Amino acid sequence: MSLGARVIHLSLAYPKTLMLLAGLLFVGLGSQIPRISIDTDPENMLPADQAERLFHKKVKADFALYDLIVVGVVNERHAEGVFNTASLSRVYELTRGIESIDGVVRQELLSPATVDDIQPDGPGVVRFAWLMDKAPTTPAAVDSIRSALERNPLLYGTLISEDGKAIAIYVPIRDKSASHRIASAIEALIADFTGEEQYFISGLPVAEDTFGVEMFRQMGIAAPLAGLIIFLLMLFFFRSLSLIISPMIVAFITVGATMGLLIGMGYTVHIMSSMIPIFLMPIAVVDAVHILSEFADLYPRIGKRRATIVRVLEHLFRPMLFTSLTSAAGFASLALAPIPPVRVFGIFVAIGILLAFLLTITFIPAYIMLLSDARIARLRQAPQTQGQRLASWLARIGPGTLSASKPLLVAALLLLALSVVGISRIRINDNPVRWFESDHRIRVADRVLNKHFGGTYDAYLVLTVDSAAAPAAPQPIDTLLLEGQREQGIDLRPQWEAIMATTASLPAESMFDVRIDAVLSLMDEADDVAAELWDEVLLLLEEQQSAAKYFQTPSALRYVEALQTDLQQSGRVGKSNSLVDIVKTVHRELREGAEEYFRLPGSAAGIAQTLLSYQSSHRPQDVWHFVRPDFRATVLWLQLRSGDNQDMLALTRHVDDYLERQPLPEGVRLQWAGLTYLNVVWQQAMVQGMLEALLGSFLIVFLMMLLLFRSLWLGLLAMLPLSITITFIYGLIGLLGKDYDMPIAVLSSLTLGLSVDFSIHFLQRARTLYAELGDWPATVGQLFQEPARAITRNAIVVAIGFLPLLASPLIPYNTVGFFLAAIMATSCFATLVLLPGLLRMTGKRLAVRTKT
Amino acid sequence: MLRIVSILFFLICSLGVDRIEGSAPKGGEADAIVGKANLAAYYAGTDGRARVRMTITDAQGRERVRQFTILRRDINDGGDQEYLLHFSRPADLRGTVFLVNKHVARDDDRWLYLPGLDLVKRIAAGDKRTSFVGSDFFYEDVSGRGVEEDHHELIETSSEYYVVKNTPIDPGTVEFSSWTAWIDKQSYLPRKMEYLDNTGKVYRRIEALEVRNVGAYPTVSKMKVSDLRSGTYTVSEFRKIEYDLNFPADVFSERSLRNPPRQWLRGR
Repeated sequence: MSLGARVIHLSLAYPKTLMLLAGLLFVGLGSQIPRISIDTDPENMLPADQAERLFHKKVKADFALYDLIVVGVVNERHAEGVFNTASLSRVYELTRGIESIDGVVRQELLSPATVDDIQPDGPGVVRFAWLMDKAPTTPAAVDSIRSALERNPLLYGTLISEDGKAIAIYVPIRDKSASHRIASAIEALIADFTGEEQYFISGLPVAEDTFGVEMFRQMGIAAPLAGLIIFLLMLFFFRSLSLIISPMIVAFITVGATMGLLIGMGYTVHIMSSMIPIFLMPIAVVDAVHILSEFADLYPRIGKRRATIVRVLEHLFRPMLFTSLTSAAGFASLALAPIPPVRVFGIFVAIGILLAFLLTITFIPAYIMLLSDARIARLRQAPQTQGQRLASWLARIGPGTLSASKPLLVAALLLLALSVVGISRIRINDNPVRWFESDHRIRVADRVLNKHFGGTYDAYLVLTVDSAAAPAAPQPIDTLLLEGQREQGIDLRPQWEAIMATTASLPAESMFDVRIDAVLSLMDEADDVAAELWDEVLLLLEEQQSAAKYFQTPSALRYVEALQTDLQQSGRVGKSNSLVDIVKTVHRELREGAEEYFRLPGSAAGIAQTLLSYQSSHRPQDVWHFVRPDFRATVLWLQLRSGDNQDMLALTRHVDDYLERQPLPEGVRLQWAGLTYLNVVWQQAMVQGMLEALLGSFLIVFLMMLLLFRSLWLGLLAMLPLSITITFIYGLIGLLGKDYDMPIAVLSSLTLGLSVDFSIHFLQRARTLYAELGDWPATVGQLFQEPARAITRNAIVVAIGFLPLLASPLIPYNTVGFFLAAIMATSCFATLVLLPGLLRMTGKRLAVRTKT
Repeated sequence: MLRIVSILFFLICSLGVDRIEGSAPKGGEADAIVGKANLAAYYAGTDGRARVRMTITDAQGRERVRQFTILRRDINDGGDQEYLLHFSRPADLRGTVFLVNKHVARDDDRWLYLPGLDLVKRIAAGDKRTSFVGSDFFYEDVSGRGVEEDHHELIETSSEYYVVKNTPIDPGTVEFSSWTAWIDKQSYLPRKMEYLDNTGKVYRRIEALEVRNVGAYPTVSKMKVSDLRSGTYTVSEFRKIEYDLNFPADVFSERSLRNPPRQWLRGR
């Protein structure tokens, strides 16, 4: 207390200097805010070096995959859906327009107007041509486009919907962070179209980037709006504009300085950190409300402002210090979470809380000292009618909590039991698209497109054959060279052994190419006989190389085919595309389109030459999205209709079961990639991490309570309201059927931090009062005067202050708004209603402890 | 008939400049230069052969090699021609044959033989600006782009090059809006060609990286096609270039698809 007292006396002695310092802090750190950089990439929920994330990145590089924006063109009015000249012409126009947008990977754009049609064209003739190289003008042209699309299993269900009402254009983009800009450019193109088509833009990158844009807007609207409402509420309670400006200033300095510090230190503002202002605002105000509340109550009695402040802070310094420390500890515990943005969030909220505490105990006293005498005098005379009403209401409740303590306890226990049931029903799930309200255009597009198509969410199933499994036996070549020496009298073995020695340690992927090149250059210098022999060596080498092209062999592709069939039948996958589909389709078209040839050719050479034909198109690179050029890894592109983690998880389990029944071939690995899968990975890490953080901070807070109250029983009591609140809040989430997602997970720390505040204040004052009065009913009577008023005012200010969040189009903000109110109400209620009865049961212990 | 683009498979049989008649071009200058370039690049000797090693490098730097032997025979100079391409590498493409009967007056006849499927396919007339066996070369780079398909304009004459801008007469049939050729003033071999898309950006480039004299014929022995959008490029190296081998006509018959003319492919 002596340090605290010194600080307070300093701020009372030099109020102007202190104001200046606070102003400098605000301006100095706040000046960093314009350097803000927004990050909405859920991938960043995982550390950059996280294994699954690295693999996802490798898959994207290996298979040249890009993030996709999906543009849907839907015609529900025309009898033939989108298959009419007008609709297809618009698809054509739109495609040409999208091609020219900066940031679009033009050569990878997937639309009826950019793909090839490979068709038999009379006996023995095969045709490679653009499917739609100009807008069709006749019904016959439309029909031929339609039948070509329907015949191609790679495109059917992907480019056109099975009901023929919709066409999808897949727009690959270089950089996810440009997706909102590109989506807006596409919307501008669409705005010029008239006609009966509807247009929808979807895809995870758009959802994520649009979220960022909305988030930025919300930071500019929601946080200040919350500030305004808190301000009005305080005005209502205290009726003194000049007085309540001070907590607002404290809140603004806290938020400005904390965000400035975060941005200045080079951290990006992620969805989590964008909520820092919203979290800090109430926390910063809470302590100030305690001070003002008590100041307003005491000043009319004491009459001297300096003496009043000293008295107020004597009461409040210790509980405020501890509430700040516990709240900070609650948030700082998030630093243990395995998710970088959550760590940043936790640490900076903790910093903000401590800063708010410092400012509150220095700035507010200094501010009060600087107020003019006239204003303070007015405060003295102000009849606090509103305060009176709340006061008399609370005063009436006080004794009731004592007399009805047992029924109240039973009711609380029942509520707890119900909450536990709710918790058992909690469904851990997330989907960035669901971060928008259900009538947001992104959610609408998501619904419409996933109704018509195989799905706009993608997951990649990657099969890789290990290098060790590559056959590299050189014996046939040795035999050949030995024969050459015997029969033709030339010994090439020293040269061959030299090649073998220098290439032995190379990976299978490049070993053969290097050996072949070495033989070729020897061949160039060799005489005719030797060249002839080298040629045979080359032949054997190439045979070995062919065998190393694992996913070009019929047996490997048959495994993929069976897996794909099973996935399709499981109903968990809307549509899947793989190398097998390409090979089967092209094979059929090479065989005059006869359905019986819709199968894999029987030899690796047959498959290789089928792919050679496929590559003789306008899009020779397409095949490399499905198989690595060394044919030692292949990817199944799965389209999912839902991006929910639960659905993705069910799919991975389904595949695990399949692998039990149909084990992978020797040396082959199966791994998942894709944004939908990555979301599952970080979600699981988060749930685990949050649970650990919650338990960790619970323990820390409990230890701090023991330190503060030096009583095991009081420490346990202090933990009671927050335990009830957390249990109830999570029970409520389970009962309401609300998915446990990222924002919900973070609420646990907020709950812990905020609800312990009330019990600290309440218990601390109870102990002091009991020591003074030595009688329970009298103590409770006093407790339900000023202390209960401060707690209730705080709960109301915070709860109502955050209601504007409910108006946000972003669900995480709604969630925080709603649960903040629920947390405040529950913990205020639990503190005021349950603690008096429980305190009385331990009255003697309390007294004993206080006296020592 | 300008077939500048198709130098890839023709340069092996490039005519010596000395065989091109006439002095410095004057009226219809661009057309005359383009005509000479066509002859320089594609009509050398009566026939020719080369081993071609094609290295396709993708944006990630991964290489794939394709190797084939190309035979060419002129029916008449500056007119119809025949080509046979026989693949030897990679092993899974060995024996794949591509046969072209190029016609000046009508569409070319093209066949593909896929030994792994034992399948002879005629490739329908139509768009020839598709990938040649997955490389950055186009089929049109093999079978030629007609002179009459573009409007030619001499936009610059430097000490080394004639720079000719070519604009398609029917823009609907091609993916470029124009292309520019840098034609060597000495040999009339195009040294560089750049293709512009509808936004005026160069998206495709062909370069002659190495020119050698094969007998009397200046010949491009190494050339590179770059797809600037996807970041892939293909380098073709020509070895064992020979001219005037007097191939019999039946070397280029449909029969050769299934039964490649080994003695003519191999040579020595």
